[in-house]
Amino acid sequence: MSPRMPTPVEVGSIVGKTFRITWSDGHRSTCSWKALRLACPCAHCRGEWADGRTVDPSSIREDVHPMRIERVGAYALQPTWWDGHNTGLYTFHMLRFELCECVECTAARSARAAR
Amino acid sequence: MSPEPKVSREQVLDALRGVEDPELHKSIVDLDMVKDIQITDGRVNVTALLTISACPLRETIVTSIRDRVRSLPGVGEVDVTLGVMDPQERQALITKLRGGAASPTRRSSFLTPESPVRVITIASGKGGVGKSTVTVNLAIALTQMGHKVGIIDADVYGFSIPRMLGMRGRPTMIDQMVVPLEKHGIRVMSIGFMLPDETDAVVWRGPMLHKALTTFINEVHWGDDLDYLLLDLPPGTGDVSITIAQTLPQTHMVIVTTPQAAAVSVAQRAARMADKVNIEVMGIIENMSYFQAAPDQPPIYIFGRGGGQRLAEVQGVPLLGEIPLDPAIREGGDEGTPITLSAPDSPVAKAFRTTADKLIRRLPVPVA
Repeated sequence: MSPRMPTPVEVGSIVGKTFRITWSDGHRSTCSWKALRLACPCAHCRGEWADGRTVDPSSIREDVHPMRIERVGAYALQPTWWDGHNTGLYTFHMLRFELCECVECTAARSARAAR
Repeated sequence: MSPEPKVSREQVLDALRGVEDPELHKSIVDLDMVKDIQITDGRVNVTALLTISACPLRETIVTSIRDRVRSLPGVGEVDVTLGVMDPQERQALITKLRGGAASPTRRSSFLTPESPVRVITIASGKGGVGKSTVTVNLAIALTQMGHKVGIIDADVYGFSIPRMLGMRGRPTMIDQMVVPLEKHGIRVMSIGFMLPDETDAVVWRGPMLHKALTTFINEVHWGDDLDYLLLDLPPGTGDVSITIAQTLPQTHMVIVTTPQAAAVSVAQRAARMADKVNIEVMGIIENMSYFQAAPDQPPIYIFGRGGGQRLAEVQGVPLLGEIPLDPAIREGGDEGTPITLSAPDSPVAKAFRTTADKLIRRLPVPVA
């Protein structure tokens, strides 16, 4: 991660329809709560050695949402989900470049995948 | 004969504004420590409240109250009566120190991303490169430049800052607030102050380390006039480093290495960690760069040459300084008077000052 990594200047409400972040470079990210939960990077969800384990989508409710989102240092956000799961630290890099579902980022990702 | 001028309560109170609490660095009037002033025929009695009854600096307070008041015209004798704050008064004081009634739970100012305090973590890959030596000498150099500096000795197992600065004693606790100890104008917090004696070992697992560190950051009253807070990390990328990365919303890192390749390649991992947790590396300091027996002798590169420069190039950051080897550095550390203070004109002290200067050019204190 570059030190000039953008940081969130505003994190949307946990009661919003989707997860929203406004970044220090002006970009606005959005991501569905379910996609965010499925992407949880913690060892419980991913395996301790990043062995390719993923979260089974059928194990997560469609209306999953966090109760709280906290900032961790200068690099990540930590949601506490409705069931108390809170071990995932979502790095700013991940939120900005891997999970963002805004029109622009989605288009850029599908263009990369097509190549 | 003209009548002696009468001194008023207001004049006494005004004089007392100049008396600072030696630990909290604020006027005792502003701290609501002056409880009562009685004046009878030029004899003044001041009743002052200490924060805790065991206040180690009570004599200092009494003396400065007496001196200030006695210098007023028309004052004969000065009596000082000391009392102790009750729990409510202490809570009110803590609330005041933490930034006012509106936010009694407000945390240390450097826990907000907008904090004006420049927090600099001093890191290394491997141990024994002289991180703590660099930390104390940089702190002295910054103080000499007129900055207010604090040090958190985060090397919980291998703490050495208290010895290097010749510090002893226990920090004052005002309820849950810890007042750091001070020496050479530098405010310091170290796990060493909490142990029965210096040789005691800290045998703790991660969660205890985490608690100690977050206490140093959250509960210690660093003062609102701090410019730079230096954080001496333990070597490597373990528990303490992670706690720091997860607790401080804004911090910068300086990496200390020695010139040899073995040290440089490990130091690179500290830089890698900084990348992962979005901490900007401000530069590299190469310690033990060379030894020069006398000014007219050629330098001897005991640990090889150019490691710091190479690391700086790989990381794309500046080399902030090359500190030569000198037995006087070690002696200064052992005796508690860092060389930058005891021999300010020595080449080593100059090297530390140049380094500090380069560092703060990259990280100036914001102008209010």
